[in-house]
Amino acid sequence: MTDIQAHLPHRYPFLLVDRVLEREPGVRVVAEKLVTYGEPYFQGHFEGRPLVPGVLLLEMLAQAGGFLETDSLHGAAIFLAAVQDARFKAPALPGDRLRLEVAAAGAFAGLMKLMGTVSCEDRELCTATLLVKRL
Amino acid sequence: MSDLKLRVKEMIIERLKLEGMTPDQIEDGAPLFGDGLGLDSIDALELVLGIEQVFGVKIEDEAAGLKAFKSVQSLTDFIAEHAKA
Repeated sequence: MTDIQAHLPHRYPFLLVDRVLEREPGVRVVAEKLVTYGEPYFQGHFEGRPLVPGVLLLEMLAQAGGFLETDSLHGAAIFLAAVQDARFKAPALPGDRLRLEVAAAGAFAGLMKLMGTVSCEDRELCTATLLVKRL
Repeated sequence: MSDLKLRVKEMIIERLKLEGMTPDQIEDGAPLFGDGLGLDSIDALELVLGIEQVFGVKIEDEAAGLKAFKSVQSLTDFIAEHAKA
C-alpha cells in the first residue's frame, strides 16, 4: 500500500487520488479515484446534473503521475508545463471508480512527458499527454 | 541540401507541428531557440524524443543538447556523428 498523503502534498478539496494500484517509479503508475456525490465541485458543476470537470480529470492524471517519482513530492517543485492532445470522450459521474493510468514517455532537462488515460469499467473517458517540469 | 539535413528539417516540422512551414524556409545556421525558430524547452523535449525515434540518436543531457540544438547544421552534424550505420 502506498501512503497517498505522505507522497503528495495536495489536500482537501484538491487531493484527487484515493489509491495506488500499481507503481513502477519512472515507468508506469495505475491509481484510482472514487467519485461520490460529496465532491465539492458538484455543487455548481452542475446543479442537478453532477459531472466531473474535464480539467479535474487532467489534474487526476497529473497527481497520479506524481507517483512516478521515487521520493515524496512534499517540498519538491514540480509543475504542470503543458497539456497536449487532451480528449474527453465520456463524462465521469458520481459512483464512478476512475482508473488513472500514467506512463512515462521521455524526459529531458527537467521536463518529463507523461501519457495518461482515465477509464471507468474498461471505457476510456479521457486521454491526454502531460508535460511536467521539475524546477 | 544534404539528404540528412532535409530529414532533420522534416522531423522538426512534423514533430513540432510547424504547420505550413517547408524545409527550405528553415535556415541551416539560424538558432533553433530564442531568436531563430523561437523554440522553447517543451519543444526541446519533443526534439529529443523525435531524434531518438527517427535517427536512433540519444541526447543524454543538457550539455549535449546545448551543443546539438545550436542550429539545424549543428544538429545534423551531431546526428551524423552519433548515428551508427
